Amino acid sequence: MHAGHYISGAGHLGLIGWLLWGGGFAPTPEPFEVSEVAVISSEEYAALTTPEPVPQAAPQPAAPSPPEDTDTPPERPTADADAPPARDDPEAAQPGTPDRAPDVSGLQRPAPAEADDSSPQRPAAPPESATLAPDTSDRPTPRPAPRVAPQPVAPPEPDARVDEVRQEERTPDEGADTPAEPQEATAPEAAATEIVTEAEEASAAAPRTSLRPRARPAAPQAVAEAPQDDAADEADPIRAALEEALGGADEPAPSAAQPSDAPAGPPLSQGERDALRVAVQNCWNVGSLSSAALATTVVVGVSMGRDGRPDVGSVRLIGSEGGSGEAVNRAFEAARRAIIVCGSSGYDLPEDKYERWRDIEMTFNPEKMRIK
Amino acid sequence: MMRMILTLLAVLGLLAAPVAAQDGPLRIEITEGVIEPMPVAVPDFVVGDGAAREYASRIARVVADDLSGTGLFREIPREAFISPITSFSSPVQFADWKAINAQALVSGAVEIGQDGRLVVKFRLYDVFAGQELGEGLRFASAPEGWRRMAHKVADAVYTRITGEGPYFDSRVAFVAETGPKNARRKRLAVMDYDGANVRYLTGGDDIVLAPRFSPDGEKILFTSYSSGFPRIYLMDVASLDLRALEEQPGSMSFAPRFGPDGRTVVYSMTRGGTTDIYTLDIDSGTTRRLTRSPSIDTAPSFSPDGTRIVFESDRSGSQQLYIMSLDGGSPERISFGQGRYGTPVWSPRGDLIAFTKQSKGRFHIGVMRLDGSEERLLTASFLDEGPTWSPNGRVIMFTRESQGADGQASLYSVDITGRNLKRMRTETGASDPSWSPLLR
Repeated sequence: MHAGHYISGAGHLGLIGWLLWGGGFAPTPEPFEVSEVAVISSEEYAALTTPEPVPQAAPQPAAPSPPEDTDTPPERPTADADAPPARDDPEAAQPGTPDRAPDVSGLQRPAPAEADDSSPQRPAAPPESATLAPDTSDRPTPRPAPRVAPQPVAPPEPDARVDEVRQEERTPDEGADTPAEPQEATAPEAAATEIVTEAEEASAAAPRTSLRPRARPAAPQAVAEAPQDDAADEADPIRAALEEALGGADEPAPSAAQPSDAPAGPPLSQGERDALRVAVQNCWNVGSLSSAALATTVVVGVSMGRDGRPDVGSVRLIGSEGGSGEAVNRAFEAARRAIIVCGSSGYDLPEDKYERWRDIEMTFNPEKMRIK
Repeated sequence: MMRMILTLLAVLGLLAAPVAAQDGPLRIEITEGVIEPMPVAVPDFVVGDGAAREYASRIARVVADDLSGTGLFREIPREAFISPITSFSSPVQFADWKAINAQALVSGAVEIGQDGRLVVKFRLYDVFAGQELGEGLRFASAPEGWRRMAHKVADAVYTRITGEGPYFDSRVAFVAETGPKNARRKRLAVMDYDGANVRYLTGGDDIVLAPRFSPDGEKILFTSYSSGFPRIYLMDVASLDLRALEEQPGSMSFAPRFGPDGRTVVYSMTRGGTTDIYTLDIDSGTTRRLTRSPSIDTAPSFSPDGTRIVFESDRSGSQQLYIMSLDGGSPERISFGQGRYGTPVWSPRGDLIAFTKQSKGRFHIGVMRLDGSEERLLTASFLDEGPTWSPNGRVIMFTRESQGADGQASLYSVDITGRNLKRMRTETGASDPSWSPLLR
């Protein structure tokens, strides 16, 4: 037996003895409160046992009535308008008639509102059902354009003042020796290109402009003219040679007679031809022509100067179609005015191709401008 | 051998072709122009005699108004003139007139002749061409006729530039209206085409309707209720002599119009419950019935050659236009559009029919070809009716009545293009215009 066993046994015995007798398993005492107790009466007891009134919810406030208007509007006449108005007139009451019971409804205590702690119920969602699409719908509001331009732009050029004379704006040059006087830009009024009668005027609600794309302009006929001219001119020398060989030609061909008139430089481009055509038609005013003159096509020849101005004395009538003598004269005069007026400052023609446009034949065909 | 020579010549010709191909002038075709009034300058006429001074500016003013009133010309204000014309015979400074864009220039002079008559002469220039248009003209009349001479100058200018016939020297017969609608006083009246020189022909005691000038402009047919029923009367404009043309018991006659011969009258007569069209020879008094139908046939108008008439009838169930020959034959309907057509009038040119159309609650004045094609409505308003042609067939005058209890009838004119709609100047309300032929 080792001594250690003795020592361990003794220690455990001592610990067990301490737990059993030393109070190691004794319960912990609870905290203790002390209060005074006294005898109370029955009234005090009843008062203590009566439940306290539940705090009443405020009654629903009545809707505010509008302030009385002193200027009472006259009553709308009704079917009972002739009946005497009802009024509380004590003298009108019958003697001996018992007084009516006073109306105490206004004095009675309103019913207490019931307090409910439950969460309010959500209103039931309307049942889903399929409906027909409306016949009309509001047009979507177009997206507003930005009010501020992302990039600054130059203000538009002011309109030229309407005047009979077309003149450019001129500002004095401070560096010049003799500064010119300032001059305002003027231009004649723009002209109409179609006739709109009073009966055809669009109503105010109708759109002023159409979003339709413009019709493709007709192909300029001048394109087809060049080969035709070439073909014709090609045929002429053949014919002339044949006639000369056969002895039937009395005069030589014009080309042979005037070889020095051969134009130099490339032919006018289509754009250059169109520019000339547009320039002339801007001054071809058919508004003052008679119906007969508007049914007349005239071919007018003109010789041009190198500065692009027409030689006024060279304007001549070459041919006409569709009108009498008087109508032809009026149509020719209108064409002559167009050539001269718009050419008074010179047409924009390439000078290096002068020989190409030194002589021009213009056909004025008013078919699209006729009174129909 | 010959064939070889020809072939050789042809080859030589082809070699020369490039040179010949460049020999022709540049050719372009203009198919679109502009429609705008032509700028015209009408400076005061030169005074050749001190006594004629008062007429110099007056005549120029009337000429300018006549031209501007057509809508085909635009008068250049006199403030823009650079240099005045001081001599009728001096050369014109075209550069000065070009500078203000005057495309036409009217230069004139007035003087009092030895016989006390007023003499007016003028020249017309194409400014940009730098040359005179036609020959100068000279008119002479009593000074009181200065307005007519001004109209004649304007007529000459208008005709030379446009090619249309003249119409300024003409008059208009109409019904002058005064008072409220429910008690309106109506009088026959005659005025110059521009509203000047109004002259009343009747007193206003009786209701008068639809005056119509004779081809010579000296007589007027009209309908009067002086007897209680509509009757046709013939009045001499100069003497105001009055004559009832058609008096048949139990009948009503109305809507008369002269034939081109000035002796035949075509009109409507209601008798026995039917309204048909008749002709009347003024001299002999003989009548001839042209239509026989249970419908209402009225508002007849002669063609310029006097061989046909156009009239309105409801024989198809609605009011439409018909043309028939005076030699007989059944009428041919020419209007087929929606609405009702009435008061047709044959153009002096003979190519168009002017009419009144009622459609969708509005009234229109329109024109159509003789076969009913190319119908064009020129106006639209609450009430437009009763067209009459200018002597040259270019302008139509008609009655326009405004809406409401205070509505008043006025005379309007419109170009057959539908442009230049304008109200005529009248002292009172006016209706039922009839344009006279050119004065002689």
